[in-house]
Amino acid sequence: MSDHPDAYELLKKIIHLSTIPLPIKDKLDQMLQAINEAFGADQTLLLRQEKIVENGFLWRLALEKKPFWIEEESSLPQEKLHPKEKEFLRPPFACLPLFDKDTFQGTLYIGFPRNRTLSPQEMDLLVLVTKEMGEAIQLSHLQQKVGQTSSELTALHEMGKVATSTLKLEELLESIVKTGLKILRAKGGVLRVEDKTTKELKVQWSFGDYPQHPLDEKIAKRVLMTQTPFLLNHSGKDNPILSILCVPLRSKEGILGTLAFYDKETDPSKFDETDFQILLTMASQMSFAIENALTHYETSQLAWENEKRVRELTILWELSKALLTTVNFEHIIQMTLTAITIGAGLGFNRAMLFMVSEKSRSLEGTMAVGPDNAEEAGRIWTTLSKEKGILSDLIGNLHRSKDKNSALNAMVKGIQIPLELEDCILSKTVLEGRPFNIRFPHSEGAWNHTKCERGCHLSSEVGCHVGEHMSQDPKVYSFATVPLWGKGKVIGVILVDNLYNQNPITDEDIQILTMFSTQAGLAIENAILYRNLEEVHQRLKETQTFLVHQEKMAALGELSSTVAHEIRNPLVSIGGFARRLYRSIPDETPEKRYTQTIMIEVSRLERILSDLLDYTQKEPLTFGEVDLREILEESFSMVSKELNGGEVELTKEYSEGIPKVKGDHRQLIQVFSNLFNNAYEAMKGKGKFSLRVLPVAKNGSTFVRIEVEDTGSGIDPENLHNIFNPFYSTKESGLGLGLPLVYKIIASHQGQIEVDNRPGEGVTFIITLPAARKEEKK
Amino acid sequence: MKKILIVDDEESIRFLYTEELEEDGFSVEVAKNGEEALEKVSIFKPDLITLDIKMPGMDGIETLKRIRELDRKLPIIMCSAYGEYKQDLTTWASDAYIVKCADLTELKTTIRKLLGLL
Repeated sequence: MSDHPDAYELLKKIIHLSTIPLPIKDKLDQMLQAINEAFGADQTLLLRQEKIVENGFLWRLALEKKPFWIEEESSLPQEKLHPKEKEFLRPPFACLPLFDKDTFQGTLYIGFPRNRTLSPQEMDLLVLVTKEMGEAIQLSHLQQKVGQTSSELTALHEMGKVATSTLKLEELLESIVKTGLKILRAKGGVLRVEDKTTKELKVQWSFGDYPQHPLDEKIAKRVLMTQTPFLLNHSGKDNPILSILCVPLRSKEGILGTLAFYDKETDPSKFDETDFQILLTMASQMSFAIENALTHYETSQLAWENEKRVRELTILWELSKALLTTVNFEHIIQMTLTAITIGAGLGFNRAMLFMVSEKSRSLEGTMAVGPDNAEEAGRIWTTLSKEKGILSDLIGNLHRSKDKNSALNAMVKGIQIPLELEDCILSKTVLEGRPFNIRFPHSEGAWNHTKCERGCHLSSEVGCHVGEHMSQDPKVYSFATVPLWGKGKVIGVILVDNLYNQNPITDEDIQILTMFSTQAGLAIENAILYRNLEEVHQRLKETQTFLVHQEKMAALGELSSTVAHEIRNPLVSIGGFARRLYRSIPDETPEKRYTQTIMIEVSRLERILSDLLDYTQKEPLTFGEVDLREILEESFSMVSKELNGGEVELTKEYSEGIPKVKGDHRQLIQVFSNLFNNAYEAMKGKGKFSLRVLPVAKNGSTFVRIEVEDTGSGIDPENLHNIFNPFYSTKESGLGLGLPLVYKIIASHQGQIEVDNRPGEGVTFIITLPAARKEEKK
Repeated sequence: MKKILIVDDEESIRFLYTEELEEDGFSVEVAKNGEEALEKVSIFKPDLITLDIKMPGMDGIETLKRIRELDRKLPIIMCSAYGEYKQDLTTWASDAYIVKCADLTELKTTIRKLLGLL
C-alpha cells in the first residue's frame, strides 16, 4: 500500500462502483474502502447529512461548500467543536462536502496517520472522488424515485383497470380489495360500506380474519367519522396487528365507506409512507368508480323496475282484453283462473275461486285451475312453455281445457264455508276486503296450534282441502288470498299457491294479483249480471210457454167438454143398447161377439173421454188434511178390482208416524190409482209391486215420501222426458193423459215427483208431499 | 110399482133408460126439458127423478131448484155427460150424482138404493 495513491486506479474503481447495480449503501461502503486503501488512511467515513450536528464544526465547513485539510490539533477551533465531534475528529484529516446537485448530502471524512500530509494533487483527486460519490447518490435517488413512481403508476393502472372492468357494484368492491392486496402486498383487507338508511357500517368484502379484530371496526368507524386517513404501526408484541392502513371512500355526496389493509407480507410487515400515499391515490380513484357503479346500479334498478312495470301492465292489458271477449260466466272465471296460473300470465301454480253466496251467507267453491300433482304440473309447464302467441289469445283458447274435470276442481266445488267462520282465511278476506299472504307455519312450534276443527294444519277450513298433503308431510306451505271486488262489495275470493315449485309469494305478486283481480272482479260481476238476466229471460220464456200451454189447455178443456158431452150421450145409448142386445142374443152366436166388441170399444171411448175431461177440467181443489194411508188403500182397491190381482206379488210398507198431508182427497186418489194402474199394466199381470210410505225431513220441514215400484219393463229412455207431457202415450189405448194429470195434481199440491227408471227392470215413481203443518192441526 | 121420471134432452138416452128401467119393473115417464119436467112432476108424481144437467133452455140445475121448491124430499139423481159439477151438487140438495155411462149398473144401483129397494 503506497502513501500516494494511484489516481487513475482509484478513479477507475470509483466510476466502476458507481455504475454497477448495487444498493447505494453497499456502493458507498465499497467506495469508502477503496479511498481508504488508496490513500492509506486510518478511517474513511461518509457522515450523512442527518448525522452532522447542526451548527457544529463540520456543519459550518459544509456551508463553505469546499474541501478542508486540518493538519494540526491546534488548527481545530476547540470552542466550536461539538462534544460528539471532539470524539472522532483526529487530525490530520480531510473533510469534503458531498452534494447531490445542490443538495448537501453529507461530508466525506478521511482520517490520516500522523505526519501525513496531503498534496494539492491528492486533494484534487479527493474532490473528484467526492463528486463521483455525490453523483452515485444522486443516481440512486433518481432510481429510487423512478421505482416508486413506476410502482405507483402500476397501482394506478391496476386500479384503473378495476374501475373500468365492471359496473357491477359487488364485483367492483371485490376487485378493489383484491387489487389493493396485490399492490400493497398486504396480508388482509376489509372494505366497508355505509348503509344509507340505517347508517350502519357493513363489511362488504374482506380478506383474512381482520374484521373479527376489535381494533378493526373501531378504526373504520373513526375514519368514517373524521373522514381522515389513518396509518398505525403498532409496536406491541402481543398484538397480532402490526400495521394498519385505513382510508375513507368518498363520493360527491359524501362518504361511502372505508377501505383498510393490514400487515405487509414483507419483513418488516409495516406499511410506509409510500404505501399510504398509494392507498390514498387508490381510494380517491376508486371512490369515483364506486360512485359510478352505484349510479349504474340505481339506474339499472330503475330501468329494471320500469321494464317490470311495463311487462306487468302488458300482462294486465292482455288479460283484460281476453276477459272482454265473453260474458259467459263459466268462461270468464276459467279465463281468470287460467290467467293467474299460466306462466306468461301471473304464473302461480294453482288458483281457486270461491264466490260469495248472499243467500246462504257463505263462500262456495266455484272453480279451480291447476295440476292435480307434481308430475302433471311438470307436464303442463313443458307443454305451455312451447306455446307461443299473444297472451290474450292463449287464454281465450284455453277455456276448453280439461281442467274442468280435474280432481282439484271437483274438490274445490265441494267446499262451502260460512262467512261467520271468521277464523277461516277465506271468510276473513271477504269480511276485511284485503289480501292475505300466508306463509305457513310461521314457526316450527306453530304446527301444534294451528289445527282447525277438522284437525288439519291450516287454522283455516280451506286448509283441510287445499293443504291436504300437509298432514302427511308437514312443511312450509305458502298461499295468498285476494278479495274479488264487484261494484262496492266483495263478490268472491281467489286463493293462489305455489304448491309445486315452492316459489315464495312476494308482496309484488300480491300487488299485481290484486290489480288483476279488480279487473276480473268487474268482468265476473258483469257475467253474473248477464247470467241473471239470462235466467230471468229464461224464466220469462218458461212462464210464457206455461201460460200458452195453460191457455191451450183451457181452450182444449172447453172444446173437449163440449165435444165430450156431445159424444158421450150417443156413446151411452150405443153402449146401452149394445148391452141390451148382448143380453138378448143367445150365447155362441157370432152376433153375440159383435155386440160384445161394440160394448168393449164403447167402454174404451168412455175411458178416454173421462181422462180427457179429468185433465182439462178446472176442478176446484178442496184441500183438507188427508190420511195418505186411507187414500192409498182406496186407490188400491179401485185398481185391484179392475185387474183381479194376477200373479203380482204385493208389498206395502207404511212407516210409523206418517203425518197427514194437506190435499184434495179425490184428486190424490186419481194420482195413485193412475200410478198403480200404470204399474200393473207395465207388469202385465206378473211381477213385484211395492208401495212404501215414509216421512222425511228436508230443510227443516217434514214431507211424506211415497214410492211406487214395479218390476215391469221400465220406460224407454227415449220417452222418459215426455212422460209428463199430455197426449204422449206409448200405450195402445189411452190418450196419454194419466201421468200428466198425476203431475198436474202433485204440482198443485206443492209436491214433487221423481222417476227412478230402470229400463227392462222396472220403474219407481217417488212422490213427495209436504206434511200438513202442526199449527194447522191445532 | 115405483114411478121414475127421466129428464133428458137426448132422445136416445130417454129411450135407453125407459127400456132398461121398464124391464126392471119401473113405471117410466120422460120429459125432454126442464119445463116439461116441472109439469110432469105435478101430473105424474114420480117416486124418483133422473135429471140431466146440460139441457137447452132451463138446465138441470135450475130445474132441480124448482122441483125442490115443490117437493123437498123427492129423490133426484143428477146425471151428466161430464163430471165437473160434483162438488156443487151435494150442496144443491140432489140425492146423487152420476156420470152417464153405457153401463147402467151404477145408475140402477143408485135408484134402488134411493127407493129403499136394496
